[in-house]
Order: sequence, then structure tokens, then C-alpha cells
Amino acid sequence: MDPLQRYREIIPNFDQFQRVQSLPLPPTARINTLKMDEPRLLERLDEEGIGYKTFSWYPLGLKLDVESPGKLLENLLGYIHIQEELSMVPPLVLGPRPGERVLDLCASPGSKTCQISQMMENKGLIIANEPSLARVTPLRSNCERLGVMNVAITRYDGRNFPNVPFDRVLVDAPCSSEGRERKGPGVMARSNCKRSLDLQALQIDLLKNALRLARSGGVVVYSTCTYAPEENELVVESVLDRARLEKISIPGLKDCPGITDWNGVHLDDDLQLSSRYYPHLNNTGGFYVAKLVKN
Amino acid sequence: MSPSSSRIRNIFEPLEPSYVADLWNSRFGISLSVFLGYLFFRKAQSVWAVNDNCLPRISYEAIGMRIMNLKDRPWKPTTSALQVFGRHATKNVIHLDSINAMIFLEGKTLVIESNCEPGYVVVFYRGEVLGCGLYSHGKLVSQIPKERRMASVVENGACEDQ
Repeated sequence: MDPLQRYREIIPNFDQFQRVQSLPLPPTARINTLKMDEPRLLERLDEEGIGYKTFSWYPLGLKLDVESPGKLLENLLGYIHIQEELSMVPPLVLGPRPGERVLDLCASPGSKTCQISQMMENKGLIIANEPSLARVTPLRSNCERLGVMNVAITRYDGRNFPNVPFDRVLVDAPCSSEGRERKGPGVMARSNCKRSLDLQALQIDLLKNALRLARSGGVVVYSTCTYAPEENELVVESVLDRARLEKISIPGLKDCPGITDWNGVHLDDDLQLSSRYYPHLNNTGGFYVAKLVKN
Repeated sequence: MSPSSSRIRNIFEPLEPSYVADLWNSRFGISLSVFLGYLFFRKAQSVWAVNDNCLPRISYEAIGMRIMNLKDRPWKPTTSALQVFGRHATKNVIHLDSINAMIFLEGKTLVIESNCEPGYVVVFYRGEVLGCGLYSHGKLVSQIPKERRMASVVENGACEDQ
């Protein structure tokens, strides 16, 4: 059976969702303001005859009309970074400011890390944690290509990251990646409820540790690229005794509220303050994002 | 602290900013003030730079950007570091035209006349730094890392995000 069928009740316009889920994703990129400002970059693209369209909800996000965006000179020189549209949402929700200390607990390949760095204007400190040595390579490579000077990389198990206080923590958790099916078909073949429950234990431990590390009043953003409530709302619900949810609002980007009923069980009503992003609403992948403020 | 001590122990050891700034000033004529506001570390033969900040005492895999390699003589700047600091260079720079810039970005060697001193140079195109080149005897050998070369992106798509 199609593993997505179990979401028929929670995803609006389910048939349209299924149709869009099987279409390839349009290439998108973020303008890297650490190296290039927006007007100059757009001028370059115009000069070179490269087609683009700015996102309606984020002026630094571009839909590109090219076959191999990774080959563009602008990408090689680090003026843009190829990044899926919705992957630019969690850093905006995190809202880091120059001079703060931020932890990106599951950082590789570093697209969000580098976006956080540009939001902080290369000031302050980001600790980008990535336990896998193999995955540190693309993380480092992206940070260096994009001219990031305020990131230090660590390799702790995120569940046991040492006790250091942070203003903000991003938990872009390992997940079943169902929302990435449009990027690389095959994800769904491995996806099922059992796998989601296995991942849930890890996700809860990561989120709990993130909340331990955040200072009181600090912001923790939890995100995944999956639709499974076991990996989303049910993870966030487990920490609502130590943090409160805040509503996410990104004008121009359509979302659905987090669900509060699943498999006959009623969940915490505050979960509707978190956001679900579906492929057929904005022609993107899929994402779940929750913004928590530590008590 | 002796700059050589971290060669034995594979850890990040703080470096005096003036040690780094003097080397860059001497080779590229970059003003010493450009290096204010950064902390520098040495690990084995590499020098790293990070925005000046209080670093928690934990174990690091990388601290900021790897900016130079001291293994050989002369020391070698990384392309990433030249893209940050190289625009302030006042000597040992080479400006390329559009055809040569593309050849350079493919990682190839150019035959070119320049009055640069032999050694590593900052390579510019249209006022922007492309990266590091090695100049000697009328030849400019591109030092652009493989994964950032024009022709090699297809095999190296691994750094793209979802």
C-alpha cells in the first residue's frame, strides 16, 4: 500500500497532493549575502541571461530557470547556494541576531547553518554539530565556499551535546524524509509507521537536549521534512511541559496548522501553532516546523 | 606559544593574530587591520580563522575557516580565504580576461605574463576574487579545489541540500 494513504484524513486536497508529490521539484537557490548583495546578484543573472523568479515570501530565495544550477559560476563562487525552498523556512523561524550564540544540532550539509550565519552577518557564534565524519565534509565545504567565518563544527551525539548555554537552537532532525520524494524518488519505499516510531525516540531525545541547552526564554525550532505525525506533533507534544509553542507566520507562504487529532487520540491543542507545509500548496517539497520558547 | 607545538598534538592551538597578519601582509600587501576581529588557530599544518568570539571549552572538529597551509614553503593560502581577504591585496595579484578566467576555473594552467613574484597569487576577474593561483616562469597554475571547478560540478553534487 502507498505509505502516504494513512495521511488521507489530515492532508487537504489529498488527490492533488498525491499528484504534485510525484512531480520533480523546480531548482531553487538562496542569495548568499555574506558574499554578494541582492541587487548585484540579480544584475549578474540578468546580464548572463539566466531566468529566475524571486520567492513571494523571501526576497533572497530564487526559483531558477536552468537545468544544472550547481554548475553556475555564481554557485561555484559562493554567491548563491542551491537550497530547497522550504529548507529556508526554519532559519527564518529561528530568527537569529548578530552576536548571539546559536546551536545547529543536526547541521550537515549546512544550508541552514549558512543561512543562519548570513542572518547573523557573520557575527556571534554558531556551533554546527554533526556526528558523522562523512557528513562533516559537505558541511565544511559549504561553509567555506559561502565565506562563513562564525561557525565552529563539533561531532557530538546530539542527545549528549555538552552543557553549554545557547540563545537559540535549531533541531532539523533526522527523519523519514517523505517531503523529499520530489527531490529524489525512492524515499517513500522505506517509509512506514514503524520506521517513524523508531526515529521518534531519537527525535524526542534530541529535542529534549536542545531545550536543556537553550537559556530560559531562548528559542528552539524543531523541523523535519516528513509528514508523519509520529515524527512531528507527537515529538513536540513530549516537551510541552518545559516550553511553549509560538505561532509561525510567514506572509506569502501557505501552511496548514499542526494536527491535534491522530489515530483517534486527541493531542495538545497548542500543536496547531506549529506549521505543516505541503507540496501542492506552494509547489515545494514538504516540511514541518515548530517554534518553541523555553520556560 | 611555539607555532610548531600543535604539529605533534593534533589539536587547535591559538596563534598570535600578528603572526598570521604579517605573513599575509608580506606576501599580498594586505593591511594588518584587515585581520582585526578574528581569532586564529593552528592544527597540524593548517591555520584556521574564526570571528572573534568566546568559544565554549568543548571539542571541535573545525573552528571557522581553514585559511592557510604551512606544510610547504612558501605557505599556501586557501581559495576560500582569498575570497574573503584577497580583495584587499595590493601585490601579487593577477587579473584575467573572461576567456582565461573560465580556463582558470576549470583548474587548468595558463601561459601569462605578469610582474608578480613567483609563488601564490590572488586571481581576479571583473574585480572579484576567483581564488588561488601558483605563478612562476610565465605560467599560472590554477589551485581552485576540484569540487569548485567549472567542469567538475556534475560528479560533485553531494554538497547540495534537499
